[in-house]
Amino acid sequence: MNPSTKKILLVEDEDFIRELYIRQLTKEGFQVKSAVDGVSGLNALKAEPFDLLLLDVMLPGMNGLQLLREFKTQNPSSSMITILLTNLGQEAVIKEGFELGAQAYLIKASYTPDQVVNEVKNALFGNQQPGGTPPPTPQPS
Amino acid sequence: MQTPLKIKLIFVSALGILTPLIASLFFITNSYVSIGLGALALAIVSLLIFLFLKPVQDLIKASESLSAGQFNQRADIRSGDEFEIVGKSFNLMAGKISQLFQKMENDKDIAISEKSKLEEILSSMIDGIIALDVNKNILISNKAAAEITGFTQTELQDQAIDGLIHVFEDKEEISSKTYCQINFNKSAKLVGKMGKQTKVNLITTPVGQSLHSNLNCILIMHDLSKEEELERMKLDFVSLASHELKTPLTSIMGYLSVFVDENKGKIPKEEMDLVDRSLISAKQLLTLVQNILNVNKIESSQMSVAIEPTDYQKILTKSVEDLRSQATQKNIILSLNLPNQPLPKVLADPIRLGEVATNLIANATNYTDAGGQIDVSLSLSPNEVTTVVSDTGTGMPKEAIPHLFNKFFRVSNLTQKASKGTGLGLYIAKSIVERHHGKIWVESELGKGSKFFFTLPIVSLSSGVIDSSKFTSQQIQAGVLNYH
Repeated sequence: MNPSTKKILLVEDEDFIRELYIRQLTKEGFQVKSAVDGVSGLNALKAEPFDLLLLDVMLPGMNGLQLLREFKTQNPSSSMITILLTNLGQEAVIKEGFELGAQAYLIKASYTPDQVVNEVKNALFGNQQPGGTPPPTPQPS
Repeated sequence: MQTPLKIKLIFVSALGILTPLIASLFFITNSYVSIGLGALALAIVSLLIFLFLKPVQDLIKASESLSAGQFNQRADIRSGDEFEIVGKSFNLMAGKISQLFQKMENDKDIAISEKSKLEEILSSMIDGIIALDVNKNILISNKAAAEITGFTQTELQDQAIDGLIHVFEDKEEISSKTYCQINFNKSAKLVGKMGKQTKVNLITTPVGQSLHSNLNCILIMHDLSKEEELERMKLDFVSLASHELKTPLTSIMGYLSVFVDENKGKIPKEEMDLVDRSLISAKQLLTLVQNILNVNKIESSQMSVAIEPTDYQKILTKSVEDLRSQATQKNIILSLNLPNQPLPKVLADPIRLGEVATNLIANATNYTDAGGQIDVSLSLSPNEVTTVVSDTGTGMPKEAIPHLFNKFFRVSNLTQKASKGTGLGLYIAKSIVERHHGKIWVESELGKGSKFFFTLPIVSLSSGVIDSSKFTSQQIQAGVLNYH
């Protein structure tokens, strides 16, 4: 297991969240590139191969699912792992994402950045870290 | 008693008789004189008769004018005899008729103005009003009734209501006979002209038969579509606002949790506590926002559960472990008792199910004092699995139990004690459990603790298909079930 050999593309439009995830993933040793919207995300995917795509579903312009559909059409045999970044209550979107080949999804509000990193590691290297699915449930009122 | 008219008639008659007699006396002496006298007497008698009968002519003229509608016409008779009396009576009668007519005219004006007032009131009402007669024909309708049904007021007038306006309660059509029989007050769907549909609150009032009118039933139709539109806008706004709140909150929590992880042991505990508390508050805020979003979804019938055969043991264990540190901090023993046999898969949305379990265990932790105990256990029956979360906490008064799963209800409302809860958690839990076709209930005694139960359908092991007839395989395959 060597994170430095793995290339990750993070597509997330929220600056603070994108930068936080980049920071934590880089700290763990991953090679991370990022994009702020669907179009630039797709361009980044065309430019070079990635091992894993962390993809926000809600993006300005081309959304995450459109990006994924476009990418899968152009690269049907790609072995890149896709993890969707979602908010709670997007079950229908998640289902559609799975049909497009996404392997997992994370509810951003329910995962700490470290848990996100763990999920990435699990996806790339198998279940070696604690804190996998099911996601942490929100605290009740 | 001799009346003036009789005296006059006697006088004329006497003159008429005496004149020929006197004339005949002169006739012997001088025939010219007697003819002249006769002619004179005849002329005088004719004049007198003409004078006597003039008041009669006046009366005829006056009565003709009166009958032609000239109510101010009077007979001016000063004959000093009965004709004058008749004339006065006639004038009196004409005066009264004139007064009556005036009064009638006034009444008519008042009635017209009352009618137009009523019409104005009816047409300015935002609710549709329809009045029916005994045969359920439309007697009166207002502008709003016309707008709601799509017909014009003229089209509605005197028509049988059942032929024009179809009223549906739920999906069943009901006739005017039904909704006019009692005081009806329910929401209903009206289908009017060209199938125009409007959701209304229909209120009817049966009217007792009266001699003055044949009114039988009054319908008031309150258009609900505008209210529903407003409600939808409110829900949309809450949803948008909550989603917008979640983004910065996710950031806050992310950064704080990284800070806490990286600085444990590096900075003094007192300062770390400041950050810890910020993180706890951010979590609470996020929970609140999520609860509001959930309630919003329940209310807008958009709460969906992605039902799938789910490993419930894993979810329940995770919920218990998530709350273990919180329980331990409060010196509460939290135990999970699973059945010896392997747990079959349940039909559930894993995320939503986690929310329910976590909610119940967290509530138990919040309402149990130090030294108390919380037991989470499962029991199996052929069709369902029942989860029990029991605590030795404060319990709740009997009167709280019927309201416990209502939105915004908090036991603290009854006990006057402070509570951190929003009163949304159990309402959401109930909605989620019911969308899984399960049941949720509570047994509790004040001061002795509470036991919360909820059930979930089990996937049949033998057939590999879903054991509950409530789910179709298509729904399961579709992954997402939306219940409305």
